[in-house]
Amino acid sequence: MSIVKNKVGIVSCSGEEIPEGTISRIATRIVLEKLRPEETVTICLPLFLAGGEGERAFARVFPTITVDGCEKRCAEIGTKKYSGRPAATIVVTDILKKYPNLKLGHRDELSAEEWEFTENVAEELAMKVGEVLGNGKELGGNGETCQKAER
Amino acid sequence: MSEGGKVVVLTCAGMDKALGSVARASVFKVVEELRPDKAKLVCLPPLLAGVASHSKMIRSLPVITVDGCAERCATKLAVKNRGRIRGRVLVPDSAKKHDLAPQSASNIGLNGEKLAEIIAQEIASIVDRVIQGR
Repeated sequence: MSIVKNKVGIVSCSGEEIPEGTISRIATRIVLEKLRPEETVTICLPLFLAGGEGERAFARVFPTITVDGCEKRCAEIGTKKYSGRPAATIVVTDILKKYPNLKLGHRDELSAEEWEFTENVAEELAMKVGEVLGNGKELGGNGETCQKAER
Repeated sequence: MSEGGKVVVLTCAGMDKALGSVARASVFKVVEELRPDKAKLVCLPPLLAGVASHSKMIRSLPVITVDGCAERCATKLAVKNRGRIRGRVLVPDSAKKHDLAPQSASNIGLNGEKLAEIIAQEIASIVDRVIQGR
């Protein structure tokens, strides 16, 4: 008998046009590689939307968290449309409202302040993974915290 | 000649593949450095999330697609939205041709950067060709 460990699929905005998209993407990778490596997988959003059956099937069976860069909420809308309601959602522009002094610059390169913000987004995402899996008190699947994550 | 002298570039987002990250990096070089006044980067996901302004843009301007894997999501989404595709780049083909393999999706490394530069030049040439109507 095989046991399938609980996993969460993270569906992230690819955000080519805006810095918030780059932040979504990097925050997602921090969670996948540093904070919750055993408990998360990523679902490629364009492939998911373009008809990737494997991606859609995964998202129908396992819980998903969408990470959107802006109010268009493409990841959330696409997930609802093709696989079902996500277990949790994050919108970077909403989190950004808590940082009124932070002005985002380039979409292809993050400043030190933007990196710090991105790490905060990653921590918030990691917390949501924990909540979805019912182990929300433990941040950092492999004992690391976001601040220790290598850039 | 392209209307308004602009060309839309649609790129793979490459969330889980290193070659997708190369696709993204190469397109950023085109729109930020090589052809900032001629090439316009348009996000892929809004095309299927039903954002009308994005669909309208790829129907009214010529499109170059840059795909990071054989799934060719950028090309498929352009076709689904009735985009006028005038050029296509498949990153795995370029990687093979130049024997350059990126390190990972989150860090493409030196070889990935070299490959992105080569592909960016290729995209810039296509932009010029499309704008000149050749």
